[in-house]
Amino acid sequence: MTMPTSMTLELAGWAGTALVVALAVLRAATPVMYAALGGLLSELSGSINVALEGIMLVAAFAGVIGAIHAPAQLPVELLPWWGAAMGLAAALLLAGVLAVLHLECGADLIVVGIALNLLAGGLTIFLLAELVGDKGSTAGIATPPLPSLRIGGLAGLPLLDLLVNGEEGRGHHVLIWAAPFVVGALWLFLCHTRAGAWLRAAGENPAAAHAAGIPVKRMRYVALLASGALAGLGGIYLSMGYLTLFQADMTAGRGFLALAAVFVGRRSLGGVGAAALLFGAAAVAATRLGTSTLPPQLVYMLPPALTIAVLALTGWRRRGRRGR
Amino acid sequence: MKAAMYSLLPRARSMRLIAAIGVALLAGLALMACVSSEPLRAWLILLTGALPELRHGTDGAWHWHRLVRFGTVLEDTVNLSLLGLAVAIPFRARQFSLGADGQLFLGALAGAVVALYWPGPGWLALLLCAAAAMLAGFLWGGATGVLKQCCGANEMVVSLMLNLIAIEFYRLVILYCLRDPNAGFPATAFFPDKATFAPLLAQTNVTWMLVAAPLAALATALLLGRTTLGYEIRVTGSAPDFAHAAGLPVGRAVVLSMALGGALAGLAGFHVGHALLKRLPVDLTPGLGLEGLLVALLARHQPRSVVPAAFFYAWLRAGGQAMERSTDVSREIALVIQALVILLVVAQRWPLAAWMRRLAARRAHA
Repeated sequence: MTMPTSMTLELAGWAGTALVVALAVLRAATPVMYAALGGLLSELSGSINVALEGIMLVAAFAGVIGAIHAPAQLPVELLPWWGAAMGLAAALLLAGVLAVLHLECGADLIVVGIALNLLAGGLTIFLLAELVGDKGSTAGIATPPLPSLRIGGLAGLPLLDLLVNGEEGRGHHVLIWAAPFVVGALWLFLCHTRAGAWLRAAGENPAAAHAAGIPVKRMRYVALLASGALAGLGGIYLSMGYLTLFQADMTAGRGFLALAAVFVGRRSLGGVGAAALLFGAAAVAATRLGTSTLPPQLVYMLPPALTIAVLALTGWRRRGRRGR
Repeated sequence: MKAAMYSLLPRARSMRLIAAIGVALLAGLALMACVSSEPLRAWLILLTGALPELRHGTDGAWHWHRLVRFGTVLEDTVNLSLLGLAVAIPFRARQFSLGADGQLFLGALAGAVVALYWPGPGWLALLLCAAAAMLAGFLWGGATGVLKQCCGANEMVVSLMLNLIAIEFYRLVILYCLRDPNAGFPATAFFPDKATFAPLLAQTNVTWMLVAAPLAALATALLLGRTTLGYEIRVTGSAPDFAHAAGLPVGRAVVLSMALGGALAGLAGFHVGHALLKRLPVDLTPGLGLEGLLVALLARHQPRSVVPAAFFYAWLRAGGQAMERSTDVSREIALVIQALVILLVVAQRWPLAAWMRRLAARRAHA
């Protein structure tokens, strides 16, 4: 039995549109996803990283500037990778400062995190103004983006081709491809290695973990540095994939959205990933609504309102346990 | 022995603060030296740019110069003091509210609505506007507290999201309801004279609101140190388990600390609208609330230290602007220095000696 051709086409059209939207959601969710995975890791170790926002920003900046000012003898195709390495190094540096100040110098973790966020905001604009001569963005300078990956031989299956290779066969960014592998690796680490169990124990009950001979401090170092690296990947994706330039304050609260994802996702890998996708969907919905006749200010209110609503709803169950 | 330690503590702390400021300023100089062609000159302007100058004029008399710039220091001091206090009160209950920005915007908006539509008679107008601004901030800050207390929603995330909503709401109302069609750019009409402050210093916007900053600090200190609510707020912050066990109204302390902080941020909005700008433009720049956060951190959440901290930061701000105008260094360096001070101050200890020893031991081992 065959369906009428027009109906098949219409169905394919609908499915195609849905896929295009889903891919847009995926792209919008990826930076939040990376940062949220980092936040989850730090939260599980009992030392939550609230500097995710600043780390993303610094990594996004260092990635672009690193790629622009790479050593001259580097071949062209390696430029973005050099930039990404610089971004990752900057992210690790900032996370290292956070870890040392908290774990060695006894500073309040949240206060240091907030101060680092403010430092990152000022430092990136300052260096942007000095190095590029423009406080707004690096728009005037061509930035080599990290490459996208394509998989050939799918021309006969348009929907699958769209899913795997994106619109017009441009492929998906390497960091989008890497995201599921990172989630898988984190799952293996947390649930199937001794170090992962130690890390969770350090967060669950540090005193007991310490008494059992688990190096709590070292686990927290690992968690904070890894969270910095993951947030750094999110930042690098922002400036070398999602966009191909650095803008002042381009993270625009995504680091805090990532923290929200950790709380909404109830500290589980799947939950955090789902929450990141939800926030990505909210962002895409806002951009789609932005073309309608609604006042843009009203549209911009929707994603934060949704975030608050989701946070409030997921926290509702704990009501009554705290306070009176 | 213990008493002696306590009396020594503040002194050691202030020495550390001075050392931290010195190190941060030097780090700023080092950073400038990396990117600027005249780092030392820029650095000196950053430090002294806010200073008014006494110059001998051609008419043989002495004249003050650059008073306008010093005026901005005083104006910023008021803003940053109020915002610093707005952050410090919830901090004392260990609530990390980042929502001062949104509360400031809504406070300014509420003050503007009252000034434009129901200004009230004579001197009452200013009081009504201030009350409206504080009420708006109180409610918006309280909303963060209620969401935290009733739904367990993380207050940092919630307050940031509420900021975004408040700022968009502000723009929406200015653009669609309060906009003056005769203004050349999207802004409200000028507020009636009775709803604005007259300047105390010619050509600046230094007004009687200057007194509001120390008064607000005093009121906050009294609230935290001398009232039951203040005690509840402090215990909730420093010993939450004890507060629960002792049956203190922890929820009330959390919500009210955020609401009271919001009221002060609303008052800062009132200052911006009624003393500085006399009207509200749609593109009022957000971000002042975060600088208030830095002030609160520098003051270590002590109300009495907030005004000096705000003055120091306002000083750096004005110096930074002067530096940006006359050299190739941009003013964001002031923000960098301020954040560095915080990072240096919040460290409880610098185990440098232990690190050196460990390093030496390792070297001896190898």
